[in-house]
Amino acid sequence: MSRVGVIGIGHGRFGRRSDATVQELAFEAFRAAIEDAGIDREAIDASVIGAVPEYHKQRSVAGVVQEYLDLNPKPTWLTEVACASGSAAIRTAWMAIQSGLHKVVAVIGCQKMTELSTAEILALMGRVGEVQWESVFGTTFPSYYAMFANRHMYEFGTTREQLLEVAIKNHHYGAMNPNALFRKEITMEKALASDPVASPLCVYDCCANADGAACIILADEERAAEHGDRVVWLDGVGCATASMSVLRRPNLVGLPSAQEAARQAYEMAGVGAADVDVADVHDCFTIAEIMAYEDLGFCAKGEGGSFIEEKRSYIGGDVAVNVDGGLKAKGHPIGATGVSMAYEIVTQLRGDAGERQVPDAGVGLTHNVGGIGQYTFVNLFRRD
Amino acid sequence: MDFDLEGKGAIVTGGSLGIGRAIALELAREGANVAVNYRRHDDEAKAVAAEIEEMGRKALAVKADVSSYADAEAMVAKVRETFGRYDILVCNAGITWDGVIWKMTEEQWDAVINVNLKGYFNYNKTAALHFKDQKYGKIVNISSINGMRGKFAQANYAASKGGEIAMTKSLAKELGKFNINVNAVAPGMVLTEMMEKIAPEFKDAALAETVVGRFATPEDVAHLVCFLCSDRSRHITGEVIKIDGGQYI
Amino acid sequence: MPSWFGKVNFVPYSKVSDFAVHLKDGRLMGSVCTECGDFSFPPRADCSECMNGSFEFKEISGRGTIYTHSTVAAAPTGFDDIAPYTVAVVDLEEGGRLLAWIGDTIDEVEIGMPVQVVPRIFEELEDIRVYYTIELPGTTWGKAP
Repeated sequence: MSRVGVIGIGHGRFGRRSDATVQELAFEAFRAAIEDAGIDREAIDASVIGAVPEYHKQRSVAGVVQEYLDLNPKPTWLTEVACASGSAAIRTAWMAIQSGLHKVVAVIGCQKMTELSTAEILALMGRVGEVQWESVFGTTFPSYYAMFANRHMYEFGTTREQLLEVAIKNHHYGAMNPNALFRKEITMEKALASDPVASPLCVYDCCANADGAACIILADEERAAEHGDRVVWLDGVGCATASMSVLRRPNLVGLPSAQEAARQAYEMAGVGAADVDVADVHDCFTIAEIMAYEDLGFCAKGEGGSFIEEKRSYIGGDVAVNVDGGLKAKGHPIGATGVSMAYEIVTQLRGDAGERQVPDAGVGLTHNVGGIGQYTFVNLFRRD
Repeated sequence: MDFDLEGKGAIVTGGSLGIGRAIALELAREGANVAVNYRRHDDEAKAVAAEIEEMGRKALAVKADVSSYADAEAMVAKVRETFGRYDILVCNAGITWDGVIWKMTEEQWDAVINVNLKGYFNYNKTAALHFKDQKYGKIVNISSINGMRGKFAQANYAASKGGEIAMTKSLAKELGKFNINVNAVAPGMVLTEMMEKIAPEFKDAALAETVVGRFATPEDVAHLVCFLCSDRSRHITGEVIKIDGGQYI
Repeated sequence: MPSWFGKVNFVPYSKVSDFAVHLKDGRLMGSVCTECGDFSFPPRADCSECMNGSFEFKEISGRGTIYTHSTVAAAPTGFDDIAPYTVAVVDLEEGGRLLAWIGDTIDEVEIGMPVQVVPRIFEELEDIRVYYTIELPGTTWGKAP
């Protein structure tokens, strides 16, 4: 198998972007990526868009993005797997290049969450899980992860404080990230006192919706090689699924789709968990990051709470996790998140992360989960 | 037709005489255990109970004022204890106290409303509480065609009979999902002891109203009520069935 | 008829919609494949084991234990009037799992506690709507233990 490399990256500001349409947000990120890559727009021979359609008034979002980016008549299509749509778009671009059909593919993750009214958003909120047997009782996205948290606390003694340490870390790093929605540190006192959302999770355990876009440009080995040591290689792609319904999962203390996706990515790249220097994981809720440490093999099952408590996921620890602020501080424009994660890892591996730089970062991964773990995509990047 | 009420527990209010008595006996013939309540006619009530026991069923004769909710509660408890089950309610106890409105006293009005309408509430409610839990029940409220049309000098009686019909329809809507049927039966003139005493000219006038040239017997009414207490009529609810020989079409 | 299930229903039609009719009659149903006998709760029309498309309903007791739970404070549309409410996942005695509200007989939920799932009707609604709740063992729809 030949290699696929990242030759350009771009990221827009995440937040309440009522100043722009989804295609205007996409353009911000795309322009930055084209400039970063130093290529002509004409060199792009296909694009893949990661976005979740039901939040947009414009139906068939890929089409309006392709038009605005002036990429017509190049091929494009949408990949949608809930919050993992961005990483799915990356995997798809990787596959397109591996097949030989395309040589340079732009991946744009873009999302508006705020075009819908509060009522519409609240209605969508109730349909995250399995709608036939679960949503009819008013389950919400936080309530699912909350049930994971309760079981994790029951089986392993994980505490509320350990959960909130994740939020504290991510806000600490988010404060240094100009693209993040929240740019202030938080305290344990304030976090513990925040309003309940779904026990044991409170407001500070939960990421916020946001609008935003990010873009990476992938190229085949021949063209990537022209970018010298600026290129970062996408050497491992893993993907797995698990039941939509939590009633059909083997347990609710980890995500089997993440464990399997990671296994595939590690195997493909020929590395192990211990080789990973920097990671962006899917911290939609604090418990999700704790389970990610375990699912990705950074620590043993049940030890995720200690892992964060001992600061082993800070810069200087075993592996730096979410040092761009994660979903928690950046906000979560669901279609864009996976690409934003890739942007951060590539930035780190290039040595461009400034005050958030992980020293000697050579191997990095993104862990991007759709919904409650129906889909996980793990993409593993390496700098030679 | 075989109505198969084997083992069911039934209450018939005003079951010592006339229509009530006929209904109680017919239900028993179809296999039900039957409890009747009565206000004054001890001997007649006990005779009904004895006749039912002779058929091999259980029977109860309970003295109760139907306008008392507490009495209704007590009767239901007794029935559940004695029969082991309670599935069927026939509200039949009713009185008249006629008079033109400008002469009708408060006492006349209140008495008829209390026995006829409040009495039906007491028994319908205590039945509903139990039938809901077991997800099965049959309620038949005996009304009258005079609850569907106005009758001279019967403002109180007509109000109560009309009220029973409206109540029946409301209850049918509330209780349907619990597998409970609630229907009303509206007889015209029925040949009972109460009717023997009315003046011949009133009887003749009523007879002339019928298209069949005769009055109903209590057994005629009992057959219809039995049908409505059986699973043969499981798809009929919220309905008012006249049994008047065509007196009011 | 198919849209009876749940406080807000999202799935008006399904091959196993009669589940709700049985629930109205007070019976909790799983499904069994008519070919290979594979059991499923929640019921499903198409067999996971042998892919056969014909199934039968099979009544289950509703006994189980709490696997996990959460009390929802921020409720979605259609549920704001009953918030906060507690949802829980129950491991069922006959196999399979179920998600439902914790009912009135339980004051404090604990993972591992034995429970009884009880079929319910939204009684004061004019429409027919059915659901189930998680109660202390021995509870029936007519009474608390």
